Amino acid sequence: MTALLEPFKAYLKSKVAITDEQFGIISDKLKIKTFDKNEMILMKGEVLSHGFFVLSGLLRSYSIDGKGKTHIIQFAPEQWWLSERNGMFNEASEFFIDAIEPTTAIAVNKDFMNDAAKHVPCMNDLNSTMLNNSIRFMQKRINMLLSATAEERYLNFIKLYPNLTLRVPQWMIASYLGITPESLSRVRKDLAHKHFKP
Amino acid sequence: MEAKTKTVSAILNAPAPHMVGDGFRVHNFFPKGYKIKMSPFFLLDYNARIEFSARNEPRGVGVHPHRGFETVTIAYHGAVAHHDSAGNSGIIYPGDVQWMTAASGILHKEYHEEQFSKKGGAFQMVQLWVNLPAKYKMSPPKYQEIKHNSIAKHTLDNGSGNIEVIAGEYNGTKGSASTFSPLNLFNARLNKEGKAYFDFPAEYNTGFVIIEGNIKVNGTEIAKADQFVYFKNEGSIIEVEALENSIVLILSGEPINEPIAQYGPFLMNKPEEIQQAIDDYNQGRFGYLDE
Repeated sequence: MTALLEPFKAYLKSKVAITDEQFGIISDKLKIKTFDKNEMILMKGEVLSHGFFVLSGLLRSYSIDGKGKTHIIQFAPEQWWLSERNGMFNEASEFFIDAIEPTTAIAVNKDFMNDAAKHVPCMNDLNSTMLNNSIRFMQKRINMLLSATAEERYLNFIKLYPNLTLRVPQWMIASYLGITPESLSRVRKDLAHKHFKP
Repeated sequence: MEAKTKTVSAILNAPAPHMVGDGFRVHNFFPKGYKIKMSPFFLLDYNARIEFSARNEPRGVGVHPHRGFETVTIAYHGAVAHHDSAGNSGIIYPGDVQWMTAASGILHKEYHEEQFSKKGGAFQMVQLWVNLPAKYKMSPPKYQEIKHNSIAKHTLDNGSGNIEVIAGEYNGTKGSASTFSPLNLFNARLNKEGKAYFDFPAEYNTGFVIIEGNIKVNGTEIAKADQFVYFKNEGSIIEVEALENSIVLILSGEPINEPIAQYGPFLMNKPEEIQQAIDDYNQGRFGYLDE
């Protein structure tokens, strides 16, 4: 258990000045979860009282529209957070969460940050920095979806998630980008024409 | 000085299988299945013989990249169609070998051949990843299509069977495949009670995949279909006796003693070369191939 938490401790230490001893206190209630490939983690309508910090593997959150089409909200590979924020208000989820790969993640309860701040005050700063970051990320994503070309969306995606092109099928990337698989193929073909030198 | 026997280190059972795409059900003997030294061979996926049901839409693996090594596909049952971004395509039938040098980078896809898919039937294949020395990792991609009837054959004495030399050399018979480091790759097709002798330098990493049948190695060790015989880096002579009609895939090569950095379909020497490979793939520098 402790060894599995090491990457999370290293992650927190890279963000705030937290000692091993303090980490020992606040990590007491963290739970390690493992998921099989394709395992359903959260169904729409359920209440999720914790978020995930991914140690290995890959999670995704998504919705399914009235026509049965999947829209991917977020991918969470190693060192990424994934949460469903209705759960913070004890409300039912609008999204589904599942594991694309066999995954090990830390389940972080919704009260974790507040509880941790009681022992380690700097966790408050981390919490607000993370929230700001998350909002900034979301703002960029909204702007991309409203105004960017398919190529701009793809170029932004490979910067954000460099190795996901090797880990998920094209249709999932297209779904995340809000474009059709055909236009993703076109973007990749155009890039190859520009950059490929045999 | 009398030549010394190359002794068996272990007879390994096939590890649990996993699917590659939906067309290949493979047992990975290495590097995941067993941590054994087999360089220059980096990976061995063995699709043990299984029956695929008939299907109009061929099963297989979609477009994916490779860089830094060679893929060698050897067919025993069934047929696989292949296309790559360098414009090569072909069908690998039983007995054929496809030697694809990905080197600086290629995109390819592999599917069950259409007619085979429509009829269904027995399917058995081996795919090897052969590492490239650092100085050849970024050389241009290359493709060698080796048809069964073109493979150099050494006929054994006393009706013991024959050795198909895909690469390397067996008793003066040379394989047609060109390689970037010294290695031997043979299909030994042995008749019941037939005997064959092999002579590989002690330092060569050596292993046998028993494709069919049942053999006795060095007069003592018994290995049956779907097992892997792993040899020690000691001695040079191996004696094989077929206890029934058998097919044995024989791998032996000089190790490439260079650092390894691997991620997914890329096999390089340094982590930064892996980052570069990912970036090049994302940016279209591997070219393009339709799904």
